[in-house]
Amino acid sequence: MDILKARPWMGNLIVLVGLSLAAVVVIWPILYTLGAAFAPGNSIGGLSAVPFADGFTVAHFLHLASGTGYPRWFLNSFLIASGTTIGTLVLASLAAYVFSRFTFAFKRSLMTALLVLQIFPSFVGMIAVYVVLLRINGLDTLWGLVLVYLAGNMPYTIWLVKSYLDTIPKGLDEAARLDGASHLRIFATIVMPIARPILIFLAITTFAAPWMDFIFPKLVLRSPEQQTLALGLVSFVSDKNNDFTTFAAGAIVVAIPFIVFFLLTQKSLISSMAGGAVKE
Amino acid sequence: MAVITAPAEQDTTSRSHPATSPSERHVRILAATFMGLAHLTVLRQRLKGALFALVEAIFLASIPTIAGNVAGLITLGTPQPDLPTKDRDHSTFLMIDGVVTLAVVAVFAAVYYISVRSALTEHRLGGAERPRTIRDQLSALTTRAFPILGLSPMLVLILFFVVVPLVFSTLVAFTNYSSPEHVPPANTVDWVGLDNFATMFGGSALWTGALTRVFVWTTVWAVLAVSTTFCGGMLLAIVLHESNIRIKPVFRAIFILPYAVPAVVTMLIWRNMLNGAFGAVNKTLIGLGIVDQPIPWLSDPWLAKFVVVAIGLWAGFPYFMLLTMGAMTAIPRDLLEAAALDGATKSQRFRHVILPLVLYQTAPLIIMSLAMNFNNFGAIFFLTAGGPTVADTTATGAGATDILITWIYNLTVGLMHYNYGSVIAVMIFLVLAPFAIFNFRRTKAFKGEL
Repeated sequence: MDILKARPWMGNLIVLVGLSLAAVVVIWPILYTLGAAFAPGNSIGGLSAVPFADGFTVAHFLHLASGTGYPRWFLNSFLIASGTTIGTLVLASLAAYVFSRFTFAFKRSLMTALLVLQIFPSFVGMIAVYVVLLRINGLDTLWGLVLVYLAGNMPYTIWLVKSYLDTIPKGLDEAARLDGASHLRIFATIVMPIARPILIFLAITTFAAPWMDFIFPKLVLRSPEQQTLALGLVSFVSDKNNDFTTFAAGAIVVAIPFIVFFLLTQKSLISSMAGGAVKE
Repeated sequence: MAVITAPAEQDTTSRSHPATSPSERHVRILAATFMGLAHLTVLRQRLKGALFALVEAIFLASIPTIAGNVAGLITLGTPQPDLPTKDRDHSTFLMIDGVVTLAVVAVFAAVYYISVRSALTEHRLGGAERPRTIRDQLSALTTRAFPILGLSPMLVLILFFVVVPLVFSTLVAFTNYSSPEHVPPANTVDWVGLDNFATMFGGSALWTGALTRVFVWTTVWAVLAVSTTFCGGMLLAIVLHESNIRIKPVFRAIFILPYAVPAVVTMLIWRNMLNGAFGAVNKTLIGLGIVDQPIPWLSDPWLAKFVVVAIGLWAGFPYFMLLTMGAMTAIPRDLLEAAALDGATKSQRFRHVILPLVLYQTAPLIIMSLAMNFNNFGAIFFLTAGGPTVADTTATGAGATDILITWIYNLTVGLMHYNYGSVIAVMIFLVLAPFAIFNFRRTKAFKGEL
């Protein structure tokens, strides 16, 4: 400590070296993948360990766009994720509003049940989900998958939104009710706009999970035209195929919007996570 | 503390009223005899009464179906080897239909209870406050029905896609649903009581050994995953927070990257980079002259375990880093200034002000993260696929790095031993139950009440 006090730049140097080492470990696989996406050849065996040392080609991106089902997978994943997001927002906020503002039979038991169900991952019941979907002709359909995600999202999101709505004074909606507004109208025009911060946070988190989920699409979707991004990406580097460069190109296309988004929103990300830690 | 003090719809049971007037008993008996009967007769709430009566009529009409489905759940079908496969009893369908039927019966019972309560409420309100005309009744009904309309979509979804599957997978643990002899539609499945539990917990050296091995590793993995990511994330957050390096934002941006890349992508990249023969990691190490033989990262059981934890750290530390950063920005500035005025040094302020506050705020999330990692399918499945194989893998489907949840996947998708998979699922439920209780108490503690 004495040396550090005498020469403050020594401390900074140690910190700088440590952080740089960590940064190299963090960024290496990402750079490597970026390099692979633009490298000629297909298999990982032919790739050099140094990113971008093998030359430069955009052939893999062209192959993705025309030679594989990638555009279709992208569309499917987008439809599933946005369907799940919209459905979750509507159903969860409606239920949360009811839980926050009404008193009715079984309210406590329902809230407790939701809290307990949050813990159990829904894919433990995979076989049953499969059979239920088979019974309602929902297998190999995108809406069947959306239903599964919606149900899985409900317990946690309802609690989250309900906790938020509890912090909004009830005076506002009671005043509107005295003016003769219906419940649905109060919900849509007064409560929802106030709850916007939590709904935006929820929209982002509920979109990300189905976007890259593997296990339920694997279970539910069968036909080639109903595949999703995660299934497709895994198929590039499964045991049968070794097409790492195409996988890398596909992964880059998937990851870049996320990376840009996270870098742009890191400040509010930090504060919203802190909020989550305090509020929940 | 958001305590609900003024509910919009007053709960009428809390109002004072004469408890046992004879006419109340009369209403109660009428309401309990047939749903809606009290509404239709003494209470003159025809619309509501008719709706309730309709529910009961539909229920009564479907009693034969209900009885059939429940019988199916009890027998799980009879073997019919002489029929063509598609005409035989399908045990899995019988079981799921039975569970769904029980769920429907439970919903009916709840509606019945609500109808009786509603009748008593209407009775207490007295004639004057009750809507007379059908039109008034309709508008009163739509207002009163708002909670039901708001909740029923999510209730139906949760019932069919969360509760029924959980009940179903628990029930399968008590059957012999497994390949090759008991897989519908070719064969039926039978109830076997606790046989599967006996096999898994001591009855068979093979299965008990595999279960013990996988369970211990699952626990070790969950604890290591959380402790390494928490310490790593907090360390980086604090270093970034305390140091006065000018390019701090660059480092922070780099350290957020693993959080932004989807887990599937992360794990598949690492799997390829750690490939023994062709992977970039070995190529680099050999190229730099650090080792001269490729390191079997993913094919040595112990090394693979180490790799799983190390990559888990790579993928998971940004979460706790962001969390710590958030918790530190949430610390009131005057608290730190007060400490500084009292003469606390930088390290004292950190040890006695920042650290306790950060720990206090993140502790619940650390515990929930433990439960999450216990079932972290992606971190194992895409990186090692549970491998490498060990002595009992061919028979049990459990590799060296398989955790309980990936083992269930192998058992059901690969080996079709649904019965053993369900025993493990029940085990996961039991392990997660304390976490569920914790989650419950934590919320209660924070909210004052539900």
